[in-house]
Amino acid sequence: MKISLLGFVFRRVRNSLWHLFWTHCLTAVTVAMALYVFGAFVFLETNLQRLLKGWGDEIQISAYLDKNLNSAEVQALVKRIEAYPEVERVKQTSQEQAWRDFQTALGGQSGLLAGLPRDVLPASLEVSIKPGHQDGPVVEQLARRLRQQKEFTAVDYPQEWVEGLGLVLLGVGWAKWIFGGVLFMATFFIVGSTVKLAMLARQDEIEIMQLVGASENLIQAPFLLEGMIQGVAGAIASLILLWITFQFLRGEMPSLGGFLMPLGRLTFLDLRSIGLLLVLGWLLGAAGSVFSLRRFLKSWNASRSEA
Amino acid sequence: MIQLFHVSKTYPPNYQALTDINFEVKKGEFVFLAGPSGAGKSTLLKLLFRQEEPTEGQILIDGQNITRLASRGVAGLRRRIGLVFQEFKLLTHLTALENVALAAEVIGMSKNASRTRAYQLLRDLGLKERYDSKPLGLSAGEQQRVAIARALINDPMLILADEPTGNLDADVAEETMRLFFKIRDRGTTIVVATHDLQAIHRAGTRIVFLQRGVLSNEVRLSPALERRK
Repeated sequence: MKISLLGFVFRRVRNSLWHLFWTHCLTAVTVAMALYVFGAFVFLETNLQRLLKGWGDEIQISAYLDKNLNSAEVQALVKRIEAYPEVERVKQTSQEQAWRDFQTALGGQSGLLAGLPRDVLPASLEVSIKPGHQDGPVVEQLARRLRQQKEFTAVDYPQEWVEGLGLVLLGVGWAKWIFGGVLFMATFFIVGSTVKLAMLARQDEIEIMQLVGASENLIQAPFLLEGMIQGVAGAIASLILLWITFQFLRGEMPSLGGFLMPLGRLTFLDLRSIGLLLVLGWLLGAAGSVFSLRRFLKSWNASRSEA
Repeated sequence: MIQLFHVSKTYPPNYQALTDINFEVKKGEFVFLAGPSGAGKSTLLKLLFRQEEPTEGQILIDGQNITRLASRGVAGLRRRIGLVFQEFKLLTHLTALENVALAAEVIGMSKNASRTRAYQLLRDLGLKERYDSKPLGLSAGEQQRVAIARALINDPMLILADEPTGNLDADVAEETMRLFFKIRDRGTTIVVATHDLQAIHRAGTRIVFLQRGVLSNEVRLSPALERRK
């Protein structure tokens, strides 16, 4: 396209954005809302993934020792388990240490322990697993092997938590596309309607442009560009809203309870996700415009022929 | 310049607007398409600038068969044709100058060049003082001159005018016809569809009559207006 035609297209876009300012704003807000919901799911998914990974990195198997074992037997057992290929290290927790840890965990409520004997909690071995062996089946297999050792009374690891969170993550991933998809469809038609309104407002201009020999591309280009601008503006607005939400949640983290504490700090969307939202906004705007343009011009040209 | 061979046009479901039209317009010729309302004059013009496709027959303009053109071809054809309508078809939010310049801008002329050219045309057509007025601030005759300037801005080989004097009083209509003759004298072929018999009588020249979609007669009147111009 010639430079002079580009100038013509940009002038028409500028005029349209000015004359139908609020209509374009409303459409951009609709795009922003759809992308905000989608972005919120991406945000949740990203942080849950981090949580799951954090748990995976720190996954430990707690094996509770029989009270009748003497120190030499425990040391022998530790050496044997440390020799397993998937084991990173083995940490021994005495009954006294277990008592102190429990007391610390209870904090202000530690008075509940008053009157209980200090050896009420069993001594245990905390078995850490090497990176690369933290997959569910490997952990499960190791736990089974430990259970077979007669020195242990019980073997425990947070399998249900990990699996449960994995399912939540899967659900969030699906919900992102299902909710997002429905909202994208709605937004697609709303963008299309705005473009149609813009075309109706300028149908005299379109007719005259056709009559004086403007190409179809030149007639359509401004509307397509308007749709893209709406989409990208909506995506930027959604990112701003997500950032505000992120800042709010980060401030509220301490009051959200211990469940989220392993997250340490919430993280905002990475560059790839930000890029995805911008591209989705752009695509929504462009696709809604093209769809509406084609339909409008087809029916309009047909009606001009019949006139 | 224009050749029609057995051209017919039927609108669905079964309205025969034109039937087996054959005629030719030579380069630089001025032709009136005359006939009552509903005779098919506007339909014939629409076929010539390809707002419509004929149901049957072939149309050649400047040697090019325009019967089946893709949209790009239609745009290309219209760049070589100037169109003038009874209702002027001016954009009310643009000034006279902008209305004229628009036709050049959409085919790639720069903003400055198109405005300079539009100003020259408006000046030549006696609208030097009104170039900055919007259409609603202009008289009917002035609006039609703006429309003619727009039709001329891309130096068309052919001008098609559909009832160009329909909204003008007699004096302004005569002045407008005189303008068309001046344009014809520069070598531009002109076809004017009208049912205004007074305008035809004053103007003279070749007249093609249409009656219910059929070419009924063809005459040449004494070109009284031509002599007076």
